[in-house]
Amino acid sequence: MQITGMYWGSRLLDYVDFPTSEVLGPEADADRIAGLIDRHGEIFIKPMFKGGVGRKGKAGLLGRARDVPTAMKEKARLYFAEHFHNGTPVKAEGVTFEGAVPAEHEIYFSLTDSTEYRAPIITLTHYGGMDIEELPPEKIARIPFDPLTGLKGFVVSNALKRLKAPRELISPLVQSLPRLWDLYHTYGMTTLELNPIRMRPERNGRLTPVACDFKCAFDDDDPNWKRLDLPASVDASSYSEFEQEVNRLRTYQGQSDVFVINEQGTITAMTFGGGANALVTELLGESATISSDFGGNPPYAKMHDISRIVYTYWLEQSNVLFIIGGKANNTDIYETFRAMADALRDHFNSHGPQPLYVVVGRGGPNLIRGMGYLRDTLDALGLPYQMFGHDSAMSEVVNFAQAADRWMAEGGRELVAKRLGIG
Amino acid sequence: MHPQGVAAFPHYYVGIDSLARLATREDRVCVLNITGGESRTVTPVSHAFSGGNVVCGTAPGRSGSVMKTAAGDIPIYDNLPEAMAAGHRFNVVVVYLPPAGVRDGVLEAVRVNPDIDKIVILTEKVPVRDARVIRAIGQMHGIDIFGANCLGIADAHNRVRIGGALGGSQPEESLVPGSVAIYSNSGNFTTTIAVYLLTAGWGTTVSLSSGKDLYIHYAAMEWAHAFHNDDRSKAAVMYIEPGGYYEHELRFHKPVVACVVGRWKARLTKACGHAGAIAGSGDNAAAKEEWFLQKFGVDDIFTPENPVCSEKGAVVVNIAHIPAAMTAVMARNGIEPDFEPRGDLSLKCWFSNTQGLKLPEQLNPPVVKAVPPYDEQIAALEEQVGAVFPRQVMKDASGASMMDPNSQVTRIHGTSILDAATRSYEENLVQALVREYPDMNGTALANVALNAFVNQSGQIGLAAAQAARRAGNSPNTSLSAAIALLGPDEVAAARDAAATLIDLFRHSDLNDPSDTAFDFSGPLERALAGDAAGVLLSDAACSRGGAMLAAMAARGAKSVFIEFLQALAERRGGSLRGQVILAAVTTHLAWPALMRKRLSITTVVNLPWHFRIYSALVGSAADEEQQQPGRFCGVDDDALMRDWSFAETAHLALLGRRPDMEALFSFSVLLGLIISNGPGTISAQGAKGAVSADGPEAPKRVQINKCYLGFLSHTGYAHGGNGFEAISFLLDRFRDTGLANPGSREHGLDLAAMALDYAREYLEYKKKAKAAGDLSYAKIPCINHPVFKGEPVNYDPREVFVSDLFSRRGSYNIFLDFYHELVQALYKVGVSRNVYCVNVDAVIAVILLKMLWQPHVEGEISEQVMEAAAFTTFLFGRMIGSAAEIEDHINRGRNMDTRTPASRCSHVG
Repeated sequence: MQITGMYWGSRLLDYVDFPTSEVLGPEADADRIAGLIDRHGEIFIKPMFKGGVGRKGKAGLLGRARDVPTAMKEKARLYFAEHFHNGTPVKAEGVTFEGAVPAEHEIYFSLTDSTEYRAPIITLTHYGGMDIEELPPEKIARIPFDPLTGLKGFVVSNALKRLKAPRELISPLVQSLPRLWDLYHTYGMTTLELNPIRMRPERNGRLTPVACDFKCAFDDDDPNWKRLDLPASVDASSYSEFEQEVNRLRTYQGQSDVFVINEQGTITAMTFGGGANALVTELLGESATISSDFGGNPPYAKMHDISRIVYTYWLEQSNVLFIIGGKANNTDIYETFRAMADALRDHFNSHGPQPLYVVVGRGGPNLIRGMGYLRDTLDALGLPYQMFGHDSAMSEVVNFAQAADRWMAEGGRELVAKRLGIG
Repeated sequence: MHPQGVAAFPHYYVGIDSLARLATREDRVCVLNITGGESRTVTPVSHAFSGGNVVCGTAPGRSGSVMKTAAGDIPIYDNLPEAMAAGHRFNVVVVYLPPAGVRDGVLEAVRVNPDIDKIVILTEKVPVRDARVIRAIGQMHGIDIFGANCLGIADAHNRVRIGGALGGSQPEESLVPGSVAIYSNSGNFTTTIAVYLLTAGWGTTVSLSSGKDLYIHYAAMEWAHAFHNDDRSKAAVMYIEPGGYYEHELRFHKPVVACVVGRWKARLTKACGHAGAIAGSGDNAAAKEEWFLQKFGVDDIFTPENPVCSEKGAVVVNIAHIPAAMTAVMARNGIEPDFEPRGDLSLKCWFSNTQGLKLPEQLNPPVVKAVPPYDEQIAALEEQVGAVFPRQVMKDASGASMMDPNSQVTRIHGTSILDAATRSYEENLVQALVREYPDMNGTALANVALNAFVNQSGQIGLAAAQAARRAGNSPNTSLSAAIALLGPDEVAAARDAAATLIDLFRHSDLNDPSDTAFDFSGPLERALAGDAAGVLLSDAACSRGGAMLAAMAARGAKSVFIEFLQALAERRGGSLRGQVILAAVTTHLAWPALMRKRLSITTVVNLPWHFRIYSALVGSAADEEQQQPGRFCGVDDDALMRDWSFAETAHLALLGRRPDMEALFSFSVLLGLIISNGPGTISAQGAKGAVSADGPEAPKRVQINKCYLGFLSHTGYAHGGNGFEAISFLLDRFRDTGLANPGSREHGLDLAAMALDYAREYLEYKKKAKAAGDLSYAKIPCINHPVFKGEPVNYDPREVFVSDLFSRRGSYNIFLDFYHELVQALYKVGVSRNVYCVNVDAVIAVILLKMLWQPHVEGEISEQVMEAAAFTTFLFGRMIGSAAEIEDHINRGRNMDTRTPASRCSHVG
């Protein structure tokens, strides 16, 4: 679960009384937008991207307006704006209208967990107005702190002093930034980034930090963020229908991680173990429909459910059903193979037979019983198959699956279909 | 602040200076949640492999029990203070707690036991929020923490495994002492790499599965330091995935092969496989490859074709290349492998079936003999006939049926009851036990066998059922009396015959028992030479046996088993009894599934008993006066065997006449719809409880007829008998309408007006009842459903399916039509806020009423008889699902597994 932008960001920051720019959502009418312009003089119109769509490249998609007609025009332009993120096209779904915040100083601030320090860490700089990556290290403070005590004012103070930040920034930031730890730690975040925080001068000359953009990532394994009651649609776009359906099976016993690689792929790999997942997906490349990790000794019922979903989404287009993993330490091969075999038989029962080549590479407890069960099922279904033990190199088994895929593509599929009586 | 540990790490605490101290023979272990699903299988193996290093475990509520292992019992306590108070001392805690309990488990361990110096966390999906606190606690108290989401540590030299399941159930296969240390982000690959290294002659020292969560508590830097200080470890393999900077600052003084996999993960925008492998930062796979290339002073990835390496090491991106890379790097250091290579990594096909397709040579590798001990297991598998199901607690669980909570459609052995409803009664009776539908030949054989035993004339069971009926009992109670008398001795001959046939044919290569060209001379000679003939043949002639054979011949039904028996009788002399023919038929029906290991031998031996019960239950439903020797409900037994389907016979027993095609179809649909509502339904619970109480772990002792009594006693006026409520409701609506034929569209009734009148009447009744404070006012049966509701117009998809089925056949049912008008009328007058669905129970009621309407209006059957017929019909249908549950529970269940622990029961004062 990831959130980008101030529409939801401002609501989350309200939990810890962190000041934010004034934000209206896509539903705002002309009167409300006019009011916003009256109060702030200028407003920004930003497209809303769901999930963790990054900022880079988004700058060109920013609209500005000092009157309602311009705001509406920018709304029309940006409402369904398209944008490439990590090489994938993403489409906006709405815009926000955000009041401009006059300020002399812009602050970058983030909270995350560092693998270098193995502790939570703040990243802070008052040299705002440019990408943090482009700043030299001496202009950025990265300070780890003790999670048992949390982010304290002195951590912020020390960081700003090291950066030689202007005196007027220190007190407001020391008072406000530690509040973000509550939001971060209490609700199960793994990243919280405010960029920029604009330091708005008040009438008494004191500066108030105002968050003007927001990004956070929640820990999928932490139930605490669910207390925020965020609608599932906030992040829905980053998961395919298939991924969402499998994710619903997410429990702590047994992995159920999937990722769609190529919707036109022809090898559907049921992969067991994070390592096998990494290796097999890499070797299969674009011929894979999905990348999966179903290791961790899933019980029969969960494996059956996973298989049913995978087959429903991917089997029809697949030439090869590829069951692959290393020598399992604890995953019961009999239980997992029985579940996959039963689900395959049920799939054929309900969807009719379909041409498929089955390739298996696996090792682990109850291996032969598992292979035997799968063999009997495949014999009954009339599908061609080969099964390899754990003493065959996994990469060689991948090569074999690819050869089977090529043969199927070059006419084998029709031959198997004929053998099944559906040609 | 943290205590001072190894001097090389001044900024944080590390306690272990050498890999030799990572997992030692002196370590004493306590396992938290020792009885958890994973620990239950892993800990006994670890304990035995490590010479008994687990001193105790915890599992709330299990205090006083033990975990049995080959190295002795491990005592279990509710919590750590209790274990400490019992005098146990340990320095290692292994955590198998669920994710939400891990942080508190670690805090508690640290609080109560100052001796702890290592904690190994196996649990996956520990929240980062908890991981950062665990890290801080470990640092504060000077404890090395491993994981989380790891598979622990194994030292092949010390023969110690702590935590997870490295090496699986046979650790000595993979953990062979040698000179290579392994550090792996992947638990599975820790073992797989150890196995791969053997193929180049390299054994291992210490294998560490680090885990790959965001927080790796004992990570690459600490490990590398300990690796350098371990004299046994001459080299190392590191398996590294993207994400995290743990390896960035590593400096090596010994050779290392690094395997970096996961370039494709740069495409990810979210975690997949291992948490933390998120793209877009400088710690992706490409970056990590570069880090290691620089550390080793090489400019390319090592492959067998391009073996780039230095004396410092090599980088590979395929684990299969690790052994060759290790040998090449070590050769540059002048170090030979630890031992002769064991096996190789070439493709070795263990099972193959090309299905007769002409495949290119590459896709048709020879099947080779597997490495020990798998070769023996494969040989045993080839010997094994039938399935062997793992036993487990089957309370509220079933391998036979399951109900989809969304569609409310139950599947029985994978077939939805909607599809089952389009099959015949006899087909469904067979499928419930055999898991597959019989072909036409099999169905013909089944009809002969089922009809052969349906006439209960002269049977004590029929007298008992009749006496029970006369005493005013409900149909389920009366039929129980008959079934109770069909005990094991009554079917011993048939069961022995089935067991004998299996024994004779198990390795005969018979796959299709309908193939009468099959050469059964082998089994025949064995039967003649041994005791089999004595079991299969009898001296006295048996009229039932002869009649069954004649009926099969008349139907053109064929079976290898029947022909075999006839040949045996001819060679040896003797007669074939009906019970033996029955066994041959049931074995025929089960044989293909048995050969494909979908069924156990236990089931196939039980089949004749089930068939006898099927016949007896249907037969005993007919009145005693309707049954004479050789004649059942006015039809000759021979004719039943020769010409009647069992569905027709059931109709005959129930209504006294043979159904026409339309009535037969309706009757079959009806029975199909009733089959099952999943393992939670009361009738299934009764059947399963009866199996459980007999102890399925000794399956031969389970009294199958008693299990059917469990089913029958768990039906009643509220479950099974309640179908009559809807019939009664419809009778009230149609009693005085003069309706002659409910199947005719030309009925001349204004159903919409009738429905509207009743809806208004009901509205008034409901208002009055509510005004009087009666909230349990009578509901209209068979409308609305807790799942199929909330839409402007609601439908029960099961009802829609059956309505369509009949409508496509041009079949009309006025009662169903009325129900559809009624839900509209209820909405129109304001009884309901939307249009309720007509639910599937209505379908059952309207089919039944349509069947019974004419005899009822003609005065042939009273409402009491009608109620009994409705209830008995339910029993006929539900017998199918119950048979499936009984046989499933016998095969999978544990003794007394349906009991509810006292802790989950409540007292109501």
